[in-house]
Amino acid sequence: MRPLSFACRAAPLALLLLSSALVACGGGGGDDDNEDDGHIGPTPPPALSIVGRGAVTDRYTAEVSVRGDYAYTTTWSTRGATGVGNVINVWNVSGATPTLVRSITVSDATTLGDVQVSDDGKLLVVATERANGSLVVFDLTSPGNPVQVSRYLSPNTTGGVHTAEVQRVNGKLYAFLSVDPSSSSPSRLTIVDLSVPAAPVEVFSQVMGSPFIHDVFVRDGILFTALWNAGLTLWDVGGGGRGGTPAAPVEIGNVRTVNGEVHNVWWFHDPATGAKRYAFVGEEGPAQLFTSSSGDIHVVDVSDMAAPREVAFYHVANAGTHNFWMNEAEGILYAAFYNAGVEALDVRGDLGACTAAQKSADGRCDLGATGRRLASGPTGQGAVFIWGVQGQGDYVYASDMLNGLWKLNRARR
Amino acid sequence: MPFSRPLLAPLLPLALALPASAAAQMEMPAGPPPAVMLGAQVVGLVTRVSPAYAGRDFTEGYLTQPAVMAHARLAGGRLVLRATIDLEGLTLRRGELTPGSYGEGYVDRRHPHTYTHEAVVTLATRGDGGAPPGAALSLTAGKGFAPFGTDDPMMRPFVKFPANHHLAQVLERAAVIGAGRVGPAIVEAGFFNGDEPVEPSSAPQWSRVGDSWAGRLTLAPRAGRLGGLEVQGSHAWLTSPEFATGGGSDQRKWSASARFERGGPGDAAGHRYALVEWARTDDVFNGRRAFTFTSLLAEGALTWRGTRLALRGERTVRPEEERLANPFRAARPHTDAAILGRTRWDVATAHAGLPALRVAGVRARPLVEVARSRATEVRRPSAFEPALFFGSERQWSLSAGLRLELGATHRRMGRYGVAEVDDATPASSARRPAHH
Repeated sequence: MRPLSFACRAAPLALLLLSSALVACGGGGGDDDNEDDGHIGPTPPPALSIVGRGAVTDRYTAEVSVRGDYAYTTTWSTRGATGVGNVINVWNVSGATPTLVRSITVSDATTLGDVQVSDDGKLLVVATERANGSLVVFDLTSPGNPVQVSRYLSPNTTGGVHTAEVQRVNGKLYAFLSVDPSSSSPSRLTIVDLSVPAAPVEVFSQVMGSPFIHDVFVRDGILFTALWNAGLTLWDVGGGGRGGTPAAPVEIGNVRTVNGEVHNVWWFHDPATGAKRYAFVGEEGPAQLFTSSSGDIHVVDVSDMAAPREVAFYHVANAGTHNFWMNEAEGILYAAFYNAGVEALDVRGDLGACTAAQKSADGRCDLGATGRRLASGPTGQGAVFIWGVQGQGDYVYASDMLNGLWKLNRARR
Repeated sequence: MPFSRPLLAPLLPLALALPASAAAQMEMPAGPPPAVMLGAQVVGLVTRVSPAYAGRDFTEGYLTQPAVMAHARLAGGRLVLRATIDLEGLTLRRGELTPGSYGEGYVDRRHPHTYTHEAVVTLATRGDGGAPPGAALSLTAGKGFAPFGTDDPMMRPFVKFPANHHLAQVLERAAVIGAGRVGPAIVEAGFFNGDEPVEPSSAPQWSRVGDSWAGRLTLAPRAGRLGGLEVQGSHAWLTSPEFATGGGSDQRKWSASARFERGGPGDAAGHRYALVEWARTDDVFNGRRAFTFTSLLAEGALTWRGTRLALRGERTVRPEEERLANPFRAARPHTDAAILGRTRWDVATAHAGLPALRVAGVRARPLVEVARSRATEVRRPSAFEPALFFGSERQWSLSAGLRLELGATHRRMGRYGVAEVDDATPASSARRPAHH
């Protein structure tokens, strides 16, 4: 047997060195998140850094909802004298910069507000507020070209639909409408069956809130209602074991979070641990558009739904939270914070456990003090006023009342 | 808009019924005032605002401030009934163009008052009789003004209300007011319902009477070198004024003013009047102050050869609220705790009221009034940009019209019982012609 040549003897060593170099280049910093998600490759971009912006300056942009290659934003109130908030903007978000595909004008509307794509991607629903309060339902067979199939307006919506949450309960699709008070009628929750999108059927309506109901969250047959100064109330609408249905909700429990002004809710289901312990509650305090806002995120332990209790909060100086969205797989909460942009928080684990120094005077854990904040953005773009946020894939989409639709890189733990 | 006959019709019976008492009262005989006095007024007005909205000029006509006023004294003046029935619910539903004005869901238009603008009963420890100044007490109940701030602008020299109306007065509430007077010092305290009216026919939320309160201290020497001078300071707490059923934001209010008047009735030669006031309102949410709105106003008037000349300067900061499809209407009630911004209004107003004509007991005074205003954002960026909304930061407002008065209209509005400053007796202020 002839002895191996130098090249043959060196090859295994070269391969070892090359593979080591490749691993080192792909590893980034000592605390990078590649190991968390298994990503091996270039260092991910900074969390909540800007990918692109779809500009809207003739109207105030309101809420955002994203699915696939398309995002949908609504418009609010009147900008200047002529920028009426009666338009839905449809965006193609497959590229770096959101591109406006079309704008749909909703007739007899002055403010739109809420927008949402249904869980199966087939429907887009939009709330109209103030005059002729209603729910407008669009078919998304062609996602870039929503087609209106119905508009639900009744005496129990005409005061103005502030928010519309579309969720499935026991297989049926419902819209949960938070209806504004008027000088002649108080605020109420109205629930509409969307089994036949072209013919919505109202199944429930009840006066709620002090002085109004602002929003809801529905999951697993549990209805969370944001009742402003009446706090957060949980209802069985099919999943609470108390015989409740969307047509006849049964109250389970209530909690009055600090400062009241309960605006919105997200009930976190952690797929990594199976925990369903926490509901995140947004407080919408006083705000002066577009320079200041206030209101914290409140963490409510709903382990005992009959006796929910607040255990923690998150505060941003000189800013207040509005709508939020969760990347539950990663345990990251993205919250719109109006003039402070978007905040990304690590909310996995025991949020009610902290040291004495990390607690407020009333005993709640301060998530800011416990180092839960991951990132904030967009930055360096002048004034922003973020209304809503939703993530998809590696990106987070933030609707900015002043500037339009931001596409941002997601945060990583 | 031409004045339609249906709008004038309700006033004709009054014109027929009042002349006899009007003629007598116009002469103002010496001695105690009549037991019952009636009066009525209305202003026929054309106003042009340039620009009013989106760069467009608006020209409109109104029957504004149509009111019937009554004053009755019984038991030697120890029991006084006072009423003002305001018919703006019939004539001013769309509001009256007034750049800077806001309140009760109207913006840049003054809202119509409720039909029952005032209806109060006062019991006093002293009636007529000219007793020497001494301690006097009164108790007033009914619907009217809270003991806060300055006189209602309806009885002041100008036809257009100032922008600070809802900072400087609390009106049309169901109130119970106690007042005490010793020499020049007057103390008032009252409680009332916090909710402001939602429309001209709306009644107070009776269940809320007592959820709000106000107090006022006034120094008003009646004679000597300081005679005619009146200094007041007042403070009020209003629970949920802009959300009738309760649960909205509260208001904490302050007012201070100095007022001077001499020279007899408003249309008397040589009559002089001046007012300087400061007002502040804090919006309070769940016990925390969120927004502050302030006002500084100075106005003066004099009568020269029967012509009434008046000037007013004002700087008022007001909240900007989400507007409805009608750009002069704001959402009521509120559905969150946000305002679109705060706007600073600088307004200069000049008024001239020509010598009154008298026909069959009716006093008719032609008038012209011009205002120049400038509106700017207090902080930027703001969701309300006056230059974009109106078409310019600066606006002109020009009004011309005819004020008609019959009988004995109230001289001032905003005080009851022994807190009425004009005279020691609670009722005698009503015998003089109004302040216009």
